[in-house]
Amino acid sequence: MDSLKGKGKGSKGASSSSKLDLVKEWTNWSLKKAKVATHYGFIPLIIVIGMNSDPKPHLFQLLSPV
Amino acid sequence: MADLFPPLVTAQIDDKPKVDEKVDYSNLPCPVPYEELHREAYMSLKPDTFEGLRFDFTKGLNQKFGLCHSVMMGPTEVPSQSPDTVIKIPTAHYEFGANYIDPKLMLVGRVMTDGRQSARVRADLTDKLMVKANAQLANEPHMSQAMFNFDYMGSDYRAQLQFGNNALVGANYIQSVTPRLSLGGEVFWVGVPRKSGIGYAARYETDKMVASGQVASTGLMAMNYVQKVSDKVSLATDFMYNYFSREAVASVGYDYMLRQSRVRGKIDSNGVASALLEERLSMGLNFLMSAELDHKKKDYKFGFGLTVG
Repeated sequence: MDSLKGKGKGSKGASSSSKLDLVKEWTNWSLKKAKVATHYGFIPLIIVIGMNSDPKPHLFQLLSPV
Repeated sequence: MADLFPPLVTAQIDDKPKVDEKVDYSNLPCPVPYEELHREAYMSLKPDTFEGLRFDFTKGLNQKFGLCHSVMMGPTEVPSQSPDTVIKIPTAHYEFGANYIDPKLMLVGRVMTDGRQSARVRADLTDKLMVKANAQLANEPHMSQAMFNFDYMGSDYRAQLQFGNNALVGANYIQSVTPRLSLGGEVFWVGVPRKSGIGYAARYETDKMVASGQVASTGLMAMNYVQKVSDKVSLATDFMYNYFSREAVASVGYDYMLRQSRVRGKIDSNGVASALLEERLSMGLNFLMSAELDHKKKDYKFGFGLTVG
């Protein structure tokens, strides 16, 4: 049984492991980019959504400390 | 289980109509979400005490949109080798945050001067389905955490699916069994380190009290009881036991909701006594005082703060 399993892995080994590796690499890359995008973009996103909700606040209200 | 008595007993109890009603099992109320099972107990027993100065300023630009600035100065604890000594390093930081709160969408973001950011999103996709996401991001690699939850609310049950980093997958389910009792369970599987767990929980509530309990295969067993003595005072007690490490902690606490202030205090079997006072000085201006005395480790923490808006 073990030798059969070993042969099976050997013949398909190259393509299946590289496909899996590609998928893993691609998900890692996209997660890293998503993390950077969230890190820098989340608070500006909230501010943009908030400034466009009604009643629309002025830019002056955003920056003044009162 | 008084609500299971047949209606023949009703003639004698005219002034308590709630006891008489025959239970309509097809029309039970929706239970509280699984993570809020111990909500009343933890409101009294785990107030967020802090050390040092805290100043929070929230400016509302709109009904839904607001910005908040907060300054915190004080010692922060650093993990030390032995559990008996406590190492503290004084730090000060400024945190900027923005909130957008809508009935259908809630976005809360906070960023600190050292680059750490926390983000929370809650969106109602349909009437019954809700998505929640919670992330804590840091500049250092491998120090960030994120968790996504999908909640489905049925007529008398709630189901939730969770995905987190480190390949965490979890699901939980809670169902109302009678108008006062709800039972639930959860399973989770973590990729790193590989472990999985299962847990069960129960919650029984009436107008005057709430009792809840939780058991998990990680070794945790927690039970708590809250009695609402009046609408200003509530008392709570909690017992937590880890059956692998054989450690038990019991605590008793109170919560006084007065007109101008709210005081919460608790005392623990580990020798920790803590209290938090929130006093409303005027409209929108709150004064906070917090104290936590750990007699066993000889660690005394005092804090004061002001919240505007």
